[in-house]
This record gives sequence, C-alpha cells and structure tokens, in this order.
Amino acid sequence: MTFDWSVVWQHRDVLAAGTGTTILLTVATMAIAVPCGIVVAVLRLYGPAPIRTVATAYVELFRNLPLILVVYWAFYVLPILTGLGLPPLATGLAALSLNVTAYNAETFRAGINSIRRGQVDAAMALGMSRGQALRRVVLPQALRRILPVLASTWVSLFKDTSLVSVIAVAELAYVSMQIRSQTFRVLEMLTAMATIYWLLGYPQAKFVDWMQCRFKVTE
Amino acid sequence: MSDTAPDARREKASGAKIIRYRGVIKHYGEFHALNGVDLDVHAGEVVCLIGPSGSGKSTLLRCTNGLESIEGGDIEFEGALLARDERSLRGVRQRMGMVFQSFELFPHLTALENVAEGPRTVRRMKIMEANRRALAMLAKVGLSDKPASYPSALSGGQQQRVAIARALAMEPDVMLFDEPTSALDPETIGEVLNVMKTLAEEGMTMVVVTHEMSFARRVGDWVAVFDAGRIVEQGPPEQIFDAPTTERTRDFLSHLGWAG
Repeated sequence: MTFDWSVVWQHRDVLAAGTGTTILLTVATMAIAVPCGIVVAVLRLYGPAPIRTVATAYVELFRNLPLILVVYWAFYVLPILTGLGLPPLATGLAALSLNVTAYNAETFRAGINSIRRGQVDAAMALGMSRGQALRRVVLPQALRRILPVLASTWVSLFKDTSLVSVIAVAELAYVSMQIRSQTFRVLEMLTAMATIYWLLGYPQAKFVDWMQCRFKVTE
Repeated sequence: MSDTAPDARREKASGAKIIRYRGVIKHYGEFHALNGVDLDVHAGEVVCLIGPSGSGKSTLLRCTNGLESIEGGDIEFEGALLARDERSLRGVRQRMGMVFQSFELFPHLTALENVAEGPRTVRRMKIMEANRRALAMLAKVGLSDKPASYPSALSGGQQQRVAIARALAMEPDVMLFDEPTSALDPETIGEVLNVMKTLAEEGMTMVVVTHEMSFARRVGDWVAVFDAGRIVEQGPPEQIFDAPTTERTRDFLSHLGWAG
C-alpha cells in the first residue's frame, strides 16, 4: 500500500478554512453560552417558581440528550417550529449553544451555591440589595471557582463541533471527509484531521491544567 | 426581667435610646431561639451580650439589622419600628455596621477594595473618594500598610480589623459585633479587642456578642446574660460579674472559670 501525503497539502486552503470555521464555532458558542448560562442559573436559583421550573426543565432536557440528536433536531425541526430557514452554520451554532448553555448553567449554579451564606450576609449588612450582592460579591467569586470547569467545557466543545458536520457545516471534520470521499485518501485525510485537532486541542488542555493551578481557591 | 435593670445605675441612660427590643420572639421551626427579649441600647453605650452557645445572643444581633426576621415583639431603631420590607431595611443596614465571627471579608478583593466596597456600591461614592475614606479607615484599625493585601495573605486578627474598617466606612450609628474574636488565635485576640476598645472610647454605640468576659467587664457599660432565648439578668458589669443576682448567671460564669 502506498501513501500519498501530497493530497493534504493540495487541499490546504480548504482545510484552513475548515479549521477557521471550527474555531469560529467554538468561540461563538461560548460567547453565547456563558452569558446565557449565567442567566439560566440565576433564574433557576432565584426566579419565581414557574420560571424556575422552566429553567430546570430546559437544563435537564438538553444535558441528557445526545448532542448529535440536538444537531439533527435543530436542522429538521427548528425551521418548522420557527418558520426560519437558517443556514447550516447558524443551525449548528444554535444546536451547540443550546447544549453548552445547559452545561454552563449547571456549572454556574454549582459555583454560586459554593459561595457560603456569610458572604451574602456581609454584603447585605453593608446595605446592598440582593442583586448588588450577587453582582459584586457572589458572581465574581463563583466565576473564579468555576473557570477551570468552563475551560474543560471549552476543550470538549472544540472537539464536539465536529458533530455539526452531519448537517454539512463546512468545519474541519466536514471538509476532511469531503476531501476523503473525493480523493479516496482515507488514511491520509484522517491522519491530517487528527493532527490538526490534536495540535489545536493539546495547548488548550495544557492551558486548562495551568488555570486549575492558577485559580485554586485560597481563603 | 426589667426589674433587674435599674436605670439609675446605668451611666449613659440619659442618652437617647438607639435600639429598643420589646418582647422579641424568633422561631426556627419548633426551636424557639428568642423567647421574649427586652433590652435597651442607649447612644454611646457598649452593651455586651453573654451566655452559653445557642442561647440567642447572635440571633438577636441578626434580627437587629434584619438579616433574620422576627415572629413577635418589636425592634425599634432610632425611634422607628424596624421595617419589614427589603428596601427600607437596606437603609437601616447602612446605619448599622456588622462584624462577623468568621470575618466574611470578600476574598476576591484587596483590603482597600473590601473597605471601599460599601461606599462605592451602596453610597455610589466616586472611586477616588471611596479609596481615600477606605485608607483612613484602615489607618484607624492600624492597617495602613496593608491596603493591597488580599484577605488570604492576612492573619485572622488583621482580617477582623479590616472587617471592622469595612463596617466603619459606612459611617454607621451603631456597630454590631457577633463574637468578633471567637475564630481568632489567642495572640491576635488582643489587637481586635484594642480596636474595639478605642471605638468605645470614641463614643461609638456598640452591641457586642462575646465570650471575652474581661472585655465585657472592662469595656461594657451594660451586660445582658442570655439563656434559652431569654435575658436572665442584665445590669452594669460590676453587678453581673461581682454580685450576680440569679443562679443561672452564677452558674454560667463559674463554668467559664470566672473568678471576678
């Protein structure tokens, strides 16, 4: 069996564009899922009862569905429900955001719950409102505590973006598979894809390790 | 037991009544934390609340600034009944400083930022002005060299002094101390008590829950002995420590090894 690695180089532009889309999807998903995660967590903790129930239902639904199912669902069902014909990239982004927001909401909820009651008492004793206590005292501490968890979610997300290839979003996995089926260079393309994912993912994982040390809680 | 509280022997009784507790009742489910507490705090007085753990001293303090609600009786602050709604309570809390057993400094902020936080967030003071005030307060508690330190880098005694400065930065009319030295190493207790003593000498009205009997004896103007959610005896420190009138007070003090 002979290998032809030149196929990777020939398609470098497409691979680079795919890699760019993968990074874009990761960044955009987190940019949506972090603020939305905070909102869902706060609603679940402090909202009126009906809203709490809705927030809890949302989190438990999307946390316990396979992501690939959510991606398909967003592709086939979302346009029917909303009447909008979203392009594949936006559909993939929506599916990823729905999933990661649910995870982030749980992370934030755990972070907020980990701040002991005395901290809120101290803030309230100064005359702060509950909202001020949350913004100035609880959230900044909670964020620090959960930063390593958010970073792990980030690394998982980076790899999970490959799942939106099933709805033809031209990210790294999709373009690699396209090149493979056009050239029949299976091993070369899978290796190239693995190498790119790994080279980008490994530094991120190391960065997470570093953050876990850096932001260890000291009280 | 107001008959054990003859105001004639109360030096600062001429001052306005800053806080009045009347028949205060607080339940936690079946547990009666406060069972009808009557107590007055006059302007400029240091009132010490002593008694065994779980006797209701800290609960009374937490009811004073509305961190806990009461089920019965009244608490008056500066002539007005303590509000029940959060908005008015916030106004009351700004005039009452509170110091906690476990300090509760904000660990993500420096000492200076901790002290400036109240003026900045609650009083909406400009950052420069808030910092200037915070520095003055840190100097007052003897920590002008530690503005940039995070709480985790400070000793327990230093943390508690920052917490006192944080409360003072709101320029309160009353300071509430909830066992301020109970979580401290013996060698740092003194520095905190000294700051409190200085405050008392400057005329600050203080309500102090404490197990430091010598502090209550020397600095207190009035001492209330708690047991099972009631005040079993109150009076000037000489009476409580030298000539207690109830068996329960004698009992409590002898358990502490208090020998006068």
